[in-house]
Amino acid sequence: MSTLALHWVHRNLFAKPFDAALSLVVIPLLAWAVYAFGHWALIDAHWQVVGGSFKVLMAGIYPADQLWRAWFAVAILCAMFGAGLGLSVRPGRAALTVVASLAILIAAGVAAAINPHAGVVTAISAVLGIAAWIGVHHAAVDQRIVLSGLLAGVVAIFVVLSPPGFEVWGGLLLSVVLTIAVSILTLPFGILLALGRQSRVTSLRLISTAYIETMRSVPLILVVYWIWIIVPLLAPDTSVPGLLRGMAGFALFFAAYVAEYVRSGLQAVPRGQIEAARSLAMNTWTLNVEIVLPQALRVVIPSLVGQILDIFNGATLVFIIGLTDFLRAGQMILADPQNSGRTYEIYVFLFAVYLAIGGAITYASRRLEAHLARGSR
Amino acid sequence: MSTEIAEYHSIRPARRGLLIASKWLVQAAIVMVVAGLVIWLGLAVREALARKGIQFSFGYLGNVANFSLSEGFVLSREGNWPVLELFSPSHSNLQALLAGLWNSLKVALSAIVLCTMFGTLVGIGRLSTNWLVRNLCFGWVEAIRNTPLLIQIVFWYFAVVLRFPPANAASNWFGGLLASRSGVFFPGIAISERASIGSWGLLAITFALVIACVALRGLRLRLILLAAALSVLVATAVVGFPLGLDLPVATRFGARGGFAISPEMTALLIAIVVNSSAYVAEIVRGAIESLPKGQWEASASLGLSRSHTLRDIILPQVFRIVLPSLANRYISLTKDTSLGIAIGFPDLFNVYGTVSNQTGRNLEGVVIVMLTYLALSWIISACVNGLNARVNGRRGR
Repeated sequence: MSTLALHWVHRNLFAKPFDAALSLVVIPLLAWAVYAFGHWALIDAHWQVVGGSFKVLMAGIYPADQLWRAWFAVAILCAMFGAGLGLSVRPGRAALTVVASLAILIAAGVAAAINPHAGVVTAISAVLGIAAWIGVHHAAVDQRIVLSGLLAGVVAIFVVLSPPGFEVWGGLLLSVVLTIAVSILTLPFGILLALGRQSRVTSLRLISTAYIETMRSVPLILVVYWIWIIVPLLAPDTSVPGLLRGMAGFALFFAAYVAEYVRSGLQAVPRGQIEAARSLAMNTWTLNVEIVLPQALRVVIPSLVGQILDIFNGATLVFIIGLTDFLRAGQMILADPQNSGRTYEIYVFLFAVYLAIGGAITYASRRLEAHLARGSR
Repeated sequence: MSTEIAEYHSIRPARRGLLIASKWLVQAAIVMVVAGLVIWLGLAVREALARKGIQFSFGYLGNVANFSLSEGFVLSREGNWPVLELFSPSHSNLQALLAGLWNSLKVALSAIVLCTMFGTLVGIGRLSTNWLVRNLCFGWVEAIRNTPLLIQIVFWYFAVVLRFPPANAASNWFGGLLASRSGVFFPGIAISERASIGSWGLLAITFALVIACVALRGLRLRLILLAAALSVLVATAVVGFPLGLDLPVATRFGARGGFAISPEMTALLIAIVVNSSAYVAEIVRGAIESLPKGQWEASASLGLSRSHTLRDIILPQVFRIVLPSLANRYISLTKDTSLGIAIGFPDLFNVYGTVSNQTGRNLEGVVIVMLTYLALSWIISACVNGLNARVNGRRGR
């Protein structure tokens, strides 16, 4: 065993003089970094600040007596996530099962440490998610039914959460709900723009191209801010909540990016398919809906899932229109003089959560890419 | 195209006119609908503004700004001469926006240079034969790409730069660099007291000789030019070198001398460089992996070492492939500078916010900022496309 380990070390760390020199520099540095971080995290850090402000981080200023709504939304989210997984990933893959159960255990543990009820609800949500995953996969539910189910789930989340008013949405909940809603809203608009850019009608092509290129050249923060300003000017008699205005800005911005992904998918559809359909006297609508789009969208699903990460990361910009997302909630906690020394604890926690969610989305995107590549062979 | 022609000819002549007419009608209808939408939008906005007693005009740009910015230079006029000076409240709103643009550009340009260098290193690191280096680079890139840029900017500002020692106890690195929470100070170049017309002239001759040495061809000529440049440089030093190092000296609230970078810019620059270099690393790694494996094998069979192959065979080809992707990255990076508002860096977007708060003129400002960013994107892609054409055009020769 030890000879094997030595062999591995020799081959991977000390194969050549340059590698050996690099290893000799990197290993002590890494050891020091791990030791310093470990010492801080386990001994010096005061993690109580995270527990004490958990509700603000997760749900912002959502009224405490209405929190069951947030929990209900979490359960729906878990079920949706499970159903989505069921479409592409086989349950019972060893590595994934281990990671998933670990994540659930940690989540339930953290929740239970803060509030016993929270632990129970987390466990129920996790069970719901897993049930949806296995159910969708084993029953081989039709994709269209699952997709409409997901759409219904989003509507249900909005219906459940909205009674206390959109102004009180905040924290991680706001970031996640905004991301999901925007990801769905961008799709139809993005597809239309992509088709417009490929259209044979010159004016349509020019307008779509101009829109896409303009949106891709300006910063997201500018678009969000601008929509937030202009909506009250256009509709002076009704007050549109800031959250909905922000979502509109995000959707208008990211639709241009969706359009570019979809366009790359449209270009991947063999020309012969279109010609064959035309020779069968299909009209443009049927041609696009029945022949082109199903093939084009299939190719770009991994990119579109990857784009969800961009939207989630971009959701931090809602601070510009006065909304309190996850990052802003963390900053609000640090603004409290009582917590002024806890900067690193809060930021490490925020980083960890962002990294976990971002990593999961990236992983899903890569899995889907592999899954689709296998299917097309 | 050919299908269209075939379609067209399969139609009886009598219906051709109708088809053409209907196509024009569709075009006209679309244009009218979009134009109508834009006009309706414009009118609605104008009406809303009129109700508030505001008229859409750019006249406010000439008014005095009456607010101050923490940094940023503007072009101003002193007599008949244009001078570059620090922005002050007595400048106009337009000059405030220009100072913001200057700040955005200064971060964007430095970040472009730094992230390309740093990103290439990390990208090569991801393909290192050393297991530890390879996986560290991988983890680094993934951690950066999977977290929002904004939290990185905020982290660098509040948790790192503002935790630097105060100015009077600034840590002094490498003899000249001062890092404190009031900013980072680099040694600058200053004109020394020994400067005279003669020494300036000699220095100018040295520069001219060096430029000629780089530009001209022929080994012997170059060697002679280099020797001449060196001897003139020695002569300059003897007469009295006109330039000297201006080392920053820590004071109570900052530092005197040298070249200063504000804490906001330090944090924003670090965050953007670190973030973009992760993307550049992925671009570079992808390009290296896309090169045929035969290149490595051929070099190895010629007895070239791995680093030699990388430097002389692989990287020159990589820079041809990556230019379009790098252009996209540079454009996103330039747009990312607008996040400086989160830490109070006075970039273009931030200054626009201040100006519109002061004057109530949001919409005119949006038009200006949008057009500026559009122009910046076009300039960057034009530059990189030009470079791309130059680099790839040479391959034919």
